[in-house]
Amino acid sequence: MTRSDVLVIVPAHNEEESLPATLEAIRRRAPGVDVLVVDDGSRDATVRVARERGVPVLSHPVNLGVGGALQSGFRYAVERGYAIGVQLDADGQHDPADLEALLAPVRSGECDVSIGSRYVTSTGYRAPLARRLGMMLFSGVVKMALGRRIADTTSGYRAYSRPVMEVCRHDFPKDFPDAPLLIALHRRGFRLQEVPVTMREREAGRSFYTLGKKLYYPYKNLLASLMALLRRPA
Amino acid sequence: MFLSRAQVILAVAAVGLALFVLDLVRRRRLSEEYSFLWVVATAVVAVLGFSTPLLQALTRALGILYEGSTVFAFGLAFATAVLLYLSVKLSRLGQENHALTREMAFLRLELQELRDRVAGARPGEGA
Repeated sequence: MTRSDVLVIVPAHNEEESLPATLEAIRRRAPGVDVLVVDDGSRDATVRVARERGVPVLSHPVNLGVGGALQSGFRYAVERGYAIGVQLDADGQHDPADLEALLAPVRSGECDVSIGSRYVTSTGYRAPLARRLGMMLFSGVVKMALGRRIADTTSGYRAYSRPVMEVCRHDFPKDFPDAPLLIALHRRGFRLQEVPVTMREREAGRSFYTLGKKLYYPYKNLLASLMALLRRPA
Repeated sequence: MFLSRAQVILAVAAVGLALFVLDLVRRRRLSEEYSFLWVVATAVVAVLGFSTPLLQALTRALGILYEGSTVFAFGLAFATAVLLYLSVKLSRLGQENHALTREMAFLRLELQELRDRVAGARPGEGA
């Protein structure tokens, strides 16, 4: 078995329908990387689907949220000696063909976190209005904190260097790892960079974000962003 | 010394609640830690309810018009304290829960890996 120094972490919550295609896409378009599925308390066959394809699965007995799933992935990556961890959604919206572009700046040491962005160049993606407003707001918050623009603060397609993962395995937002996380990482001195990627519509399964969370999201993220600015980086 | 009917009802209710809280502790349904704020709250309400001069003095000092309001104000203050205390505890419990859940996921994976290794070493056995 060949071991890669890159681990692709796929958080999955009830993704039995889209997971096979996602794992297959990684295998075909990004051969040579290791994959870990973090099952976040799924009630369907997510775990079996992954195991059948020979992919190791970390399985939470209850749902912790996407941040909690990633945090488990980071711990796995650090414990098993990976140099870079990539967060890739199970629902098929992230194209593994972009993986090399995402990895390149982290590998070369140009940055510590690279963020796959729909907005760096025009890639034909158009989000619903409420989401666009939210993105503008948090993009503004992040710009104030970082002094420069991150167009896609909510992108779930990111690559993290090992030092970042060492921090994040202990301290990571449990539900929405978005703007507050970027601010906290910046405050710790990590360099962030956006990389243009294409994102597709969700193939199957439901989003992590339900209606209740949609209302709670702006409150939580504004407060957490403020706290990230107020806290002294440890 | 004159005690109003409302005062008596409130004070008796407070004593009753205190006894109930202590009984919960006796039956190990409530830990000593969580009983503390309840006992303090009920004691204060009971003392204010039974002692008219103290209640009147306190009411005047706080600029409240009606003695009953003073008792309710203290009751409400304690209830708020208990709720806030519980929210803090709940947050910590959530964090501990997360850590344990994660630990369990890692143990499960390591168990699976060991099983696979055993099955690989002895073909024909194991799942």
